Amino acid sequence: MNFKIRAATKEDCKEISRMILELAVFEKMPDQVKISHEELERDGFCQNPFFECLVAEVPEEKSKEGFTVVGYAMYYYTYSTWRGRSVFLEDLYVMPEFRGNGIGKGLLSKVAEVGKKKECVRLQLSVLDWNTPARDFYAAQGAQDLTDSEGWHFIRFDNQNLDNLANEAPKD
Amino acid sequence: MDFSIRAATVEDCKDIARMVKELAEYEKCTHLVKTTQKDLEQDGFSKNPSFHGIIAEVPEQHRTKDGHTKIGYSLYFYSYSSWSGRDIYMEDLYVMSEFRGKGIGKALMSKVAQLGLAAGCGQLDFLVLDWNKSSLDFYLNQGCTDVTTDIGYHYMSCKEEALEHLAQP
Repeated sequence: MNFKIRAATKEDCKEISRMILELAVFEKMPDQVKISHEELERDGFCQNPFFECLVAEVPEEKSKEGFTVVGYAMYYYTYSTWRGRSVFLEDLYVMPEFRGNGIGKGLLSKVAEVGKKKECVRLQLSVLDWNTPARDFYAAQGAQDLTDSEGWHFIRFDNQNLDNLANEAPKD
Repeated sequence: MDFSIRAATVEDCKDIARMVKELAEYEKCTHLVKTTQKDLEQDGFSKNPSFHGIIAEVPEQHRTKDGHTKIGYSLYFYSYSSWSGRDIYMEDLYVMSEFRGKGIGKALMSKVAQLGLAAGCGQLDFLVLDWNKSSLDFYLNQGCTDVTTDIGYHYMSCKEEALEHLAQP
């Protein structure tokens, strides 16, 4: 299958937003999606963007609903005080009917290539423990599960807990 | 104890580098620290910084036996959730052992939360080691969620040869 991977443009945000929801449905958490294409346009295409994105296109074919943008990878730059600059893969998604054609691997490799050009020493991501195909895919690409091997846990403050924590900050 | 929290400057990098090593020692990972004071200066205080920092300081009369008044820090950067938008990620939170139990760690973390909210962030995320019970208890007491235990997120990382191989066009 002929496919192309390129940097996303602002105009792609509606398609990216569609696929973010498809991924959230797969991850059994569609009610967690709070943002739309407008936030993506604002936050990804401003002077200091919060993220970058690649899209996969199949120009000669279309999905059964008529889409030609059939996959995406969203990532941003992070920092490790031990190792330096790193890249975090926030999302990697290919529409089910286009899987098995190397598109997911193509997107992942491109993120790694972009990261290397920016002198990143690590590519990090998170994956749900029950998502065996994804875990196997990343492990096959050489990723290590540091929750299993070293015991790292993700901790989160959001909503009221985040507000409460911020309200206790010392006054300047 | 009297202490103050302020934004880190490039002059603080020597103390930050010192405390990065102390934190790594606590996490039993000293051998993994590759960054130097110079890396921190370049990466944190250039035109497009890779991170931001805040420092906790005590007055001279409370300095350590080695003469340090900069006794805690937090490094953070902005990240993104495709579900909720702008996020703030806390890479490190550390207070020298003799200054713990005085609210300094809490004050540093609250300041990061405050800065995050001011920048329009909806989440504050970070990692903690599962055996680090005192830290886990501290964070859980502040009302956070362990999304690894509760939702099943695993942290994965690709580096060195694996990353080189993956980045081949």
